[in-house]
Amino acid sequence: MPPIKILPITLISLGLVLLYSLVHNPAPPPRSDGRIEIEYWEKWTGFERDAMADLVNQYNASQDRVFIKFLSVSNIDRKLMLATAGGNPPDVAGIWSSNLSVFASNGALTPLDKKLAQSSLEENDYLPSVWQQLTVYNRVWALPTTPGSNALHWNKRLFREAGLDPERPPKTIAELESYNDRLTQFNDAGRIELMGHLPMEPGWWSANWSIWFGGDIWDGHSRVTATSEANMAALDWIESYPERYGAEALMGFRQLSGVFASPENPFFRERVAMVLQGPWMYNFINNFAQPDFEYGVAPFPTLREEDYGASLVECDCLVIPQGAKHPEEAFTFIEWLQRPKQLEALSLAQLKFSPLQEVSEDFYARHPNPYIRVYRELAENPKARIRPQMVTFNEFSSDMENAIDEVVRDEKSAHDAAEEVQNRQQELFKYKHQNWLQIREARLAEWDQR
Amino acid sequence: MNSKSVRLVQRICIYVILLLGAFVFIAPFAWMVSTSLKPLNETMSLPPRWLPSVIQWENYPLAINEMKLFWRYTANTIFLCVMTVIGTVLSSSLAAYGFSRIEWYGRDKVFVLVLATMMIPFPVVMVPLYTLFREMGWIGTYKPLWVPSFLAGAFNVFLLRQFFLTLPKELEEAAKIDGANELQVFWLVILPLAKPALIVVALFQFMATWNDFLGPLIYLTDQSDFTLALGLQAYQSKGGGTDWHYLMAASTLVVLPVVVLFFFTQRYFVEGIATTGGKG
Amino acid sequence: MTKTEKRNMVLGLLFISPWIAGFILLTLYPLISSAYLSLTDYSVLSKPIYIGFDNYERILVDKLFWQSLWNTFYFAALSIPINLLSAIFLAVLLNFDLPGKKIFRTIYFLPSLVPMVCLGVLWQWMLNGQIGLVNQALWPVFDTFNALFGTTLTPPNWLADPAYAKAGLVLASMWGVGNAVVIFLAGLQDVPRALYEAAELDGCNFWQKTIHVTLPIISPVIYFNGIMSLIGSFQVFAVPYVMTNGGEGPGRSLLFTATYIFNKGFEAWSMGYACAVALILFVIILTLTLLATRLSERHVHYASK
Repeated sequence: MPPIKILPITLISLGLVLLYSLVHNPAPPPRSDGRIEIEYWEKWTGFERDAMADLVNQYNASQDRVFIKFLSVSNIDRKLMLATAGGNPPDVAGIWSSNLSVFASNGALTPLDKKLAQSSLEENDYLPSVWQQLTVYNRVWALPTTPGSNALHWNKRLFREAGLDPERPPKTIAELESYNDRLTQFNDAGRIELMGHLPMEPGWWSANWSIWFGGDIWDGHSRVTATSEANMAALDWIESYPERYGAEALMGFRQLSGVFASPENPFFRERVAMVLQGPWMYNFINNFAQPDFEYGVAPFPTLREEDYGASLVECDCLVIPQGAKHPEEAFTFIEWLQRPKQLEALSLAQLKFSPLQEVSEDFYARHPNPYIRVYRELAENPKARIRPQMVTFNEFSSDMENAIDEVVRDEKSAHDAAEEVQNRQQELFKYKHQNWLQIREARLAEWDQR
Repeated sequence: MNSKSVRLVQRICIYVILLLGAFVFIAPFAWMVSTSLKPLNETMSLPPRWLPSVIQWENYPLAINEMKLFWRYTANTIFLCVMTVIGTVLSSSLAAYGFSRIEWYGRDKVFVLVLATMMIPFPVVMVPLYTLFREMGWIGTYKPLWVPSFLAGAFNVFLLRQFFLTLPKELEEAAKIDGANELQVFWLVILPLAKPALIVVALFQFMATWNDFLGPLIYLTDQSDFTLALGLQAYQSKGGGTDWHYLMAASTLVVLPVVVLFFFTQRYFVEGIATTGGKG
Repeated sequence: MTKTEKRNMVLGLLFISPWIAGFILLTLYPLISSAYLSLTDYSVLSKPIYIGFDNYERILVDKLFWQSLWNTFYFAALSIPINLLSAIFLAVLLNFDLPGKKIFRTIYFLPSLVPMVCLGVLWQWMLNGQIGLVNQALWPVFDTFNALFGTTLTPPNWLADPAYAKAGLVLASMWGVGNAVVIFLAGLQDVPRALYEAAELDGCNFWQKTIHVTLPIISPVIYFNGIMSLIGSFQVFAVPYVMTNGGEGPGRSLLFTATYIFNKGFEAWSMGYACAVALILFVIILTLTLLATRLSERHVHYASK
């Protein structure tokens, strides 16, 4: 019989695997210090992550019963759902408030009402525009970490060069567009060198433009309103871009945009003079723009003067997934984070504002961002709006982005694009809503038990 | 012109075409490596620079650092590769033996079924598979990614069967006269002879696991369990985006092991692929 | 059955038992459970609720489903012939006994080893409309053309333009054609020399030889590759997913059926709906393969062995 050479290969491989499984331990043993381990997933990266990591370390040092294991997770909404469905969710997860309705209606979250009732936390402690987002189906699903609002950011140097008053941002859409025409420059080859404003930059709020046009895309109950007067006005406004600057030129311009968090971001590179953005911009401008970059922050222009001051308020928040192994300990940790001291420390480090009504006296003095009050006032403003808590919002948003894309590429009229979104989304919403009504009673009873 | 000079012209033409084509096929690699060594502002300059003005080797450690768990991803991927390679080689060779060296009633009909299952793409069954593994409590573990490889995939069974069929019948007859049972024949006679084919199967499985994206995407939940392919995609889509020079550096690092492996095993690759080409 | 036959039967089944287990668990069960789930409303966390053929009815009027199907067919129709032709073309050229042919073969083969995710990342970069390498190579061509004919044509913005996004994907997939080249090369080496010599005696030139001798003989290989790339193009997922950062491409031009199944199942959590789409895809692949087999019976030349 010939000697088998496969055997040694197999043995070596098996040895490697054994070695690996010794090094790699998928299910960590109980902690040697006897503390309960709480897994906390967070979507943040970079300095935002570091800010929370500091607090987690403080919490871990402050007591010896619980240990928080802090992990940064990309695509957190899908990963969290996969893990929850797989029966192995983290104990705490940091998601966006706009995902709450989908997660809650799918039964992926633990309602916090009972725990809140036993705690010292109260609705009145929080900004109404923030609290509103945490409540879906009359239940509270999350507690906030850091909110944000969005505002117009403009490049003062480019304003000056175009002969505009750098201290006077546009207040109406009409004004914005007259500025835009003065700022935008073409080169000899017909390429756009500089854009005054570009609605697709950064394109994160495509579904929400109607806010600045005095309306919304959902009636809050049963109807999608993509063809509402406000949303149509917004789409007509977007349609004017390819008409004025050319669809080809716009497409070429957008291809030259680097990724957001880099010096190649067109706003930092001073290729776009005005953008709709949030408080995090302070950090990115510091990191990526030239040291002499000069900018201002003001409410985004509105179609009608009386709407001026409207903005979209969003909130990063913490949830306890359904099936979490240590919900009580998780809540204790979240409750600790909700103390003004912790929330303000987090807001300061993440360069955002506090979600709480009360702000300590020196908060703004200590805040590095000179414009932080502008964002905070937008969130305090009664005109502040939140993302529609519509279970099909993600689908709507994707359709709307696509519609805007088609309009900008001059493939469809704003009217046709909006009609299409309306028909499709109304159907989808109706279907999901009917399904929801069927399981509603069971769900509510289920939630009340928890 | 005589036929000899026609031949020569023809050969020169072909040579030129091949040379141009080779240039086109290499260019993306060159562009990837060139971008990975540029400073950021040169990645986006217009007109583009072919070569970086200064070679920034530090992009590589920086990209690895930014990807955070790069070495962990590598270890995870290697673990999965080893497991699936062992599983595939063992199970497929067993099944291929059953389909080639033993005569049993209905064998060839069942083999047609084996071939037919090759027609079912993963996306068709991924949702029910996900729910199956979920019932078993396997989501978030590596099991859905390596256990199936112990259940003989159709493609590998096909490949090994083709090879087993070429071995002469006398081999096992001699062994059986010596008193060997079927398993001994399989293990002591056929497998040692089939080493080249087994290496091919192992290589293909290694590549498949190294490349797999959709599987890890739906089964793995914990970032520290990610494979390189999934980790690279997560890095690409992280909040705020990832700069191109880093992305290219990370991509180069993911491609490199495969290329190195190829240069050591070129012969097997080429032979293996040639066998799969429907010659049977 | 005789005793030996029975023994062989048991032995045979024992040896193939890993495959049987795999077939039942990984193919049969998923297909059956898929058929059941497609009749339910199922969002992972809650129990499936039976709803009859609702999902199918909704799919019939689902614009996105039809668009994904259209995109998939479009991509298959574009990429399969192009890839097959270029693979055969390259294989024929590489089959010549030229100096350095080994190096050429390696060069043409290497890209097919690049992992999908890397391929997606790299080609997203290659196809950038302004600074991508592809357009850098195209600019001189366009400039010359424009100068000659007084036009003002510009290279496309590939992945930003719905009219060209799929063409961009085809370019990326062509880069990985080396696998098929190797297969065809092996096929070509099987062509008996005597046939070429006979054709030469009949006065055939190179192209006539290729068309009348080479192609018929390697037609089973072409058929096999055609089927495999057909099945492959119906599951295209990773490359477009990565190229669009997990999106659907401009105007949803890179939304393929596999992407749609994923989005429905693992983004919108409508798993019943996703199963229904998956089953339809399965039926389509089955039909196309059978059709191709029918067609091949007429046109594929199998040498009697």
